[in-house]
Amino acid sequence: MQAKLVVQGLTHHYPDEYTGEDVHALDNVSLEVEDGIFAAVVGPSGCGKTTLLNILAGLLPYREGHVKVDGVDVHGPGPDRGVVFQEHAILPWRSVARNIGHGLEIQGVPADERQRKVAEFVELVGLGGFEDRYPHELSGGMKQRVSLARTLCSNPIVMLMDEPFAAVDAQTRITLQEELNRIAIATRKTILFITHNVDEAAFLGDKCFIFTRRPGKLKATVKINIPRDRRIWKDLINDSEFTNHRDEILTLVREEVSTLGDD
Amino acid sequence: MATTSPSLAPSRVVPSRRWRRFTKEGGAEILLLIVGLLLVWSIISSIIPNPSRYLPAPLVVFFSSGELIWKGLFPNYVGQTLYRLILGSILGLGVGIPFGVLLGLNRTVSDMFYPIMNFFQSISGIAILPIIVVWWGNSEKTVFTVILYTALFPIAFNVLSGVRSVPRIYVNAMRTLGASNYCIVRDVILPGALPYIATGARLGIGFAWRAVIAGEMLTGRRGLGWWIFTAQDTDHTDQVILGMLMIGCIWILLDRYALRPIEADTIQRWGLVQR
Amino acid sequence: MSTIQELSIAVQRRFGRQRLRRIILGAIPFVTLAFLWYLNTANEWLPPVYIPPFASVWEAIFLLEEECMGFMDALTMGSGCMFTNHVFSSLGRVGLSLLIGLPLGIAFGVVAGMNRRIANALEPLGIFANSISGIAWLPLAIVWFGIGTATTIFILLNTIFWLVFFNTLLGVRSVPRVYENSVRTLGGSRWNVITQVYFPGALPSIVTGIRMSMGFGWRALIAAEMIGGDSGLGFMIFVSASEYKVEEVFLGVLVIALIWMFTDRTMLVPLEKWTIQRWGLVWRPS
Ligand SMILES: Nc1ncnc2c1ncn2[C@@H]1O[C@H](COP(=O)(O)OP(=O)(O)OP(=O)(O)O)[C@@H](O)[C@H]1O
Ligand SMILES: [Mg+2]
Repeated sequence: MQAKLVVQGLTHHYPDEYTGEDVHALDNVSLEVEDGIFAAVVGPSGCGKTTLLNILAGLLPYREGHVKVDGVDVHGPGPDRGVVFQEHAILPWRSVARNIGHGLEIQGVPADERQRKVAEFVELVGLGGFEDRYPHELSGGMKQRVSLARTLCSNPIVMLMDEPFAAVDAQTRITLQEELNRIAIATRKTILFITHNVDEAAFLGDKCFIFTRRPGKLKATVKINIPRDRRIWKDLINDSEFTNHRDEILTLVREEVSTLGDD
Repeated sequence: MATTSPSLAPSRVVPSRRWRRFTKEGGAEILLLIVGLLLVWSIISSIIPNPSRYLPAPLVVFFSSGELIWKGLFPNYVGQTLYRLILGSILGLGVGIPFGVLLGLNRTVSDMFYPIMNFFQSISGIAILPIIVVWWGNSEKTVFTVILYTALFPIAFNVLSGVRSVPRIYVNAMRTLGASNYCIVRDVILPGALPYIATGARLGIGFAWRAVIAGEMLTGRRGLGWWIFTAQDTDHTDQVILGMLMIGCIWILLDRYALRPIEADTIQRWGLVQR
Repeated sequence: MSTIQELSIAVQRRFGRQRLRRIILGAIPFVTLAFLWYLNTANEWLPPVYIPPFASVWEAIFLLEEECMGFMDALTMGSGCMFTNHVFSSLGRVGLSLLIGLPLGIAFGVVAGMNRRIANALEPLGIFANSISGIAWLPLAIVWFGIGTATTIFILLNTIFWLVFFNTLLGVRSVPRVYENSVRTLGGSRWNVITQVYFPGALPSIVTGIRMSMGFGWRALIAAEMIGGDSGLGFMIFVSASEYKVEEVFLGVLVIALIWMFTDRTMLVPLEKWTIQRWGLVWRPS
C-alpha cells in the first residue's frame, strides 16, 4: 500500500529581501509516512521544520521536489491536511464550540450534525463544560486542546503538528502528550509531529526523522516499536527500550547542535 | 504567510542597501501612487471643460502662487496660521494641564466634573463660534477662544485620566516619607501622568489645527484657512488646491517631526504606567 | 419615613451604589450652571443679547415651528417646520453618509490591509487625507458642488471614509497571519478568510474608527453647514447669529451637543466596549 504522505527531493530557498542572498532552508528531503503512523520530526532550531510543515500544509509554494498526500500532489491548503500550529491559532472571536466546528462549517455541514460532531470531540479532548467560553478565558493548554479538536473535527487524512506543546508548562505537556497518544489510538490518524523535544519524539513517535542543521537534510530515521497502549510516562520513564531509543535520538541531535558553532 | 512573491526573487543586479530598505518599507509603492495620482489628476484636468475653474492641472497649481510668495503674502498667511495654532495650543496646555491635575487629584471632584466636561466637549469649538461672534465680533479674541475651547477638553480629559492612573502605592509611599502635597504632585503625579499629558497634547493640538482653519474661514481673519476660502470666492481654484495641500503637509510635518516624537519619548522615558 | 427609605433602597438597588453616587455628583455642576443661568436671567448681569433667558431658548423652538401643521408635517419636513427641518436635515446627512461611507471604508480597508503592497501605498495617503479631511476641503467642494447638500455630504463622507478606512486597515494589519493560515488549512476560501478572520479581527478597530468618524464627522458637518450649507443645524446657528437671534443659536448649540452625546453614550461607547470585552481583544489605535 502506498504511504499517506510522500516527500521526494524537496528543496527550499527563502529569498532575503535585505541582503539579496537567499536562505537555504531545506535540502533534498525525502521521507514517507505510512497510514496510521505517528511520525516525529526532530532537529535543531532553525533547521527548516516549520518550513517543511508549511509546504506540506500548502501554505508555502515549493519549486523543487514532490509532495504527495494520499497520492495527490499538494497545491495550496486543503481540509485533507489538518494543521495544529506552533502558536495559538484559534480565533479569539469564536467560542470553543464554534472554533472546533469551524472546519465543518466551512465544508457546509448542517448545524445539527455539526453539533453532534463537536460534542464528540469536545469530550475527546476533555473540554466538557467549556463549549461556550471564548479563547481568552482558557489556559494555554486548553487552547491547544481546542486547536487539536478543531483539526480532528474536520477529519483530515493526515495531521500536521508544529511543536503544539512548546508553549505550555511541563506538567500540562505530559498530560497533553498522553492524551495525544490516546487520541492517536482512538482515531488511527496519520500524524506528522514536529518537536525539538527528544523525550516527546521518542514517547509519541512510531518513527522519528532526525534533521541536520540548516540547510535541513534528513539525517536518520529511527523506528520505535513500543505498542501505543504501553506509552504512559509512569511506565515508560524507566523502560529500557524507551530510554535506548531516546538516547539514540539524543545522540544524533546532539551532533548537530554541537557543530552549530562553526556556522 | 511566509511566501514572497516571485517578483522579489533575488536578481543578478544587487541594488544598494539603502534602495532595498526604501522598497521594503513601501517607498516604491508610495512613489508609484504619487506619480499615478498626479497623472490621473493631469488627465482629468485636461479633458474636463473649464479646468481652471474646476480642477487646474498640477503644474498650474504649483506655479499659481509664485506671485504670492514673491510679494511675501504667502509666508505671512502660513505664519499667521501657525502663530494662532501655537499660541492657542500653549493657552490650551496652560489651562488644560492644571485643570486636569486639579480635577484628577480627588476622586469625588473628578466624578463630579467628568460629565459636564463631556458635555462641553461634545459641543465642538466651531459650534460655539457663532455665540462668541455675537459676543466679541470677528476679532482675534474670537478665534483664540475657539482654539482654546477646542484644545482644552481633550487635554484636560487626558490629564485627568493620567493623574487617576498613577498607582496609589506611589502616592502612599511618598506620604510615608513625609512628603507634602505639593511634593507629591511634582514628583509622582506629574511624571506619572506625563505620557497621558503628551497624548492629550497631541490630540488637542490636532483638534486645534482644524479649529484654526475653520475659524479663519468663518471669521475672515487672515491665514491659510482664510486664504483658501477667499481664493474660492475669487475663482482661483489653483490656489485653493495649493492651500489644501499645504494644510495637509504642514500638519503631517508637525505631527511626524514634533508631536509624535515628543509623545513617544515621554511615554518611553517617563512612563510609570506601562501601556 | 419608611416609604422614603424604601424608595432610596429601591433606587440604590436599581442603579447600584457607585453609579448612583456618580450620577448625583455629576449632576451637581449641571444644576449649578442652570441655577447661575437662572440668576443671570433674573439679575441681567449679562444682557439677554449675550446670554438669553432659558425661557426664550425654549420658546425659540415654538417660534421656529410656528407654521408647522403638526407632527406629520414635521416628519415630512413641511416648509413651516423650520426647527425640525434643520435637525432632520443634519441627521439625514449623517445617516446617508454613514450608509455610503461605512461599507466603502470597511471594504477598502480590508482589501488594503490584506495586501502589504496596497497597504504600503495607501497608508500614507490615508494619513494625508485624514490631515486635510474635514473643513479644508470645503472651498474646493463649493467650487465643485456649489452651496448646498452635495457639498456638506461630500465633506462628511470625506471625513467618515478616511477614518473608517484607516482604522480598518490598521485593524486588519494587526490580525496575526496564523489565523488566516489556520482557516485556510481548514479548507476556507478567500471569502471565508475575509469574513471569518480579517473582518472580526479588525472589528474593535473598525468600531473605534466608526466612533472617531462620527465625532469628527459631526463637527465637520456643523462647520460645513455653516460655510457651505443651505440647511441643517450648523446653518441655523450661523444664520441666527448673523441676525443676532442668540436664543436660536443657544438652542442649536444645545441640540448639537445633546444629539452627539446621546449617540455616543447609548450606541457607540457600548458597541466599542462590547466588542473588546466580549472577545478579550487588546487593540491599540496608533
Ligand atoms: N519567511 C522567511 N523568510 C526568510 N527566511 C526564513 C523565513 N522563514 C524561515 N526562514 C529561515 O529559514 C530557516 C528555517 O526556518 P524554520 O522556521 O523552518 O525553522 P524551524 O526548524 O521551524 O525552527 P524552530 O525550531 O526554531 O521553530 C531559518 O534559518 C529561518 O531563518
Ligand atoms: Mg518552527
